[in-house]
Amino acid sequence: MSLFIIEAAVVGLKEALKLWVVWLVMSAYLKDMGSPRLIRAFHMGIALTIALFAVSFAIASDPYVRTVLSRLTGYTFFVFFISSIAALLESTGTRLFAGLKPKEGIFRPVIALSTVFYFSPDIIGSSMFIRELSEMKGAYAAVYLSGFAGFALPFLLTALTLYKYRGGRTAAIAAIAPYFGTAQFLLFLSMVKLLGGGVKGFAEFSLIPMVQRGVMKFFHDFVHQTFVFLMVPDHPLLATTVWNFIGIFFGPNIAMAASLFILLAPPLLFLLKGATSPRGGTATPQGATGPGEKGAERRKLMASVRADRRKKAVPVVGFIALILIFYFSGGTGEVSRLYNPKPKPVVEDKGVIIIPLTDPTMDLMDGMLHKFSFAAEGKTMNMLIIKKPDGKLAVCLDACEICPPEGYGQREAHVVCIYCMTPIPVETLGRPGGCNPIPLNASITEKDIRVDVAEIIGKWQKVGGAGSVE
Amino acid sequence: MELIEIKGVYKEYETAVALRGVDLVVGSGTWCSVVGPSGSGKSTLLNIIGGLDSPTKGQVFVDGADLGALSEDALARFRRERIGFVFQQSYLIPYLSSVDNVMLAQYFHSMPDRLEAEEALRRVGLAHRLGHRPGELSGGEQQRVCIARALINSPRLLLADEPTGNLDRENTRLMLELLKRLHEEERFTIILVTHDPYVSKWAQRIVTMEDGKVIKDEPLYY
Repeated sequence: MSLFIIEAAVVGLKEALKLWVVWLVMSAYLKDMGSPRLIRAFHMGIALTIALFAVSFAIASDPYVRTVLSRLTGYTFFVFFISSIAALLESTGTRLFAGLKPKEGIFRPVIALSTVFYFSPDIIGSSMFIRELSEMKGAYAAVYLSGFAGFALPFLLTALTLYKYRGGRTAAIAAIAPYFGTAQFLLFLSMVKLLGGGVKGFAEFSLIPMVQRGVMKFFHDFVHQTFVFLMVPDHPLLATTVWNFIGIFFGPNIAMAASLFILLAPPLLFLLKGATSPRGGTATPQGATGPGEKGAERRKLMASVRADRRKKAVPVVGFIALILIFYFSGGTGEVSRLYNPKPKPVVEDKGVIIIPLTDPTMDLMDGMLHKFSFAAEGKTMNMLIIKKPDGKLAVCLDACEICPPEGYGQREAHVVCIYCMTPIPVETLGRPGGCNPIPLNASITEKDIRVDVAEIIGKWQKVGGAGSVE
Repeated sequence: MELIEIKGVYKEYETAVALRGVDLVVGSGTWCSVVGPSGSGKSTLLNIIGGLDSPTKGQVFVDGADLGALSEDALARFRRERIGFVFQQSYLIPYLSSVDNVMLAQYFHSMPDRLEAEEALRRVGLAHRLGHRPGELSGGEQQRVCIARALINSPRLLLADEPTGNLDRENTRLMLELLKRLHEEERFTIILVTHDPYVSKWAQRIVTMEDGKVIKDEPLYY
């Protein structure tokens, strides 16, 4: 079976599993909260999501819509993640919402709309991905059927299981319920979103690369903008060698450590507070009369608090474990998945490098990134050429003034620094400074592109970097 | 208010019949002695009340719970939360200290609490024996540890099967005095099986059994 058929099935399966598992846990959570009927609001939200899903077939699949959906998916994750942090703190005795008592009626629309907000970006994004896949491969029936089969599989298996084991749903919900308080439920939602929120098939199966990129971007912007705007332009700290050093701070390793810290600090804090506080806030069982109990009753209460706390810690520990597994199983390798063509070697001719525009084996006007390498003085220097939206060609070194010269890859309408993952809009290529590739003064005619070797060598010397030495 | 209600209970074995249609009602807070000759069904009745054994026929209600309707788990929970047991043998764990033996009962009930266990042993007059193992205690002291262990989880019902069977008269008196004081303080119900008339007279009521039946049920006043 072709890989793209399997990919379509996996994408469908992923969305269905998310729906299924969230429904199950939500049912358990609402039962634990004493409001099992509110699950109807969730069903309403699912109905609205499916309606939006149907409408999404009419939406043209263009990169802008994809970008919006992708960002919306990320924002949804962060909303639920931040909410879970607040709820975790609340559940360990930090009174964030003291005095806030919303009426029960308000939960219905909140649950319905949150469900739409939670599921829509993923489901619509995945449906658009399946559509693109079918168009790209020219196998509409096979891709759609495979995607639908993947989506239907969990529901079919559930229906068969419930047919075979009547009462299985009630038993499952009763078994799950003790493990999910509000904090654990919100953390669970964000975990599902994080680990299964990617909307680009196998290329981005989870949101972890997105979180890492976000952290890298934040570090980059913070460090870069601080230095650029707060220092005078000729300050010695702005020398290229110093920029190389500063670049380490927004490299992938620092970003990985920082994003791990961001994701793991709240649940670890929760576990720590839960383990050290004698009787944590909302963990007190219903019906407890407080400090009045003594003897066996007091021990029984304490034991029930402890058992409840241990059960509630299970999803939190699960979240930590899954994050670590994903991080250390290579899942984050996706962060550098960019179009990065192998440089074609070129040679000088009387102090000039000539790259033909009429070469039938390559089309420099195709909008894709093209790279060339040139060896001189014991070093290999790379150049990039790409057509900008205005139709002109940008000719630059494959390096910037800041980061080590690992070059750029292409993602959609950007070139992205492979070292710091900063996306640069293609239309800005040719402008000097900052994270932009260092521009070259190329002479471009209808036949070819000519670049002065002395300029390449001179500008590459500013880049430095041990990696470029042969 | 009745704590124990037994209706038409039979217990039949392959070769013998231990109980033959026993009916018994015991009010909450009562100290009731069950007396009778060997083989009269005293211990069988006690085991059935405590959920350690089940009747062949009939119903047993203890503290509102129909023991026959409880699952194994629920019955185990019922026993550890509502009933305390004291037997003729101490059944203390020999390699644990007095306080650790009491804490073990706390552990199976909910969670251990050393200070509370020590206080329970002080109440039975063993403040000087907290760290001693059973082998370092006299028979009377061991039975007092057993009482502390049986009462540590505040049971509604204390079942005692020949608790003074291995004690001399002086230690028997000391133990019964202790039991009387604790009973007056905490008002739990006691069912005490004995064949010793001296012991049975400490109760408020004596139930006499013979050949698997209750043949006499008389109140005592003191």
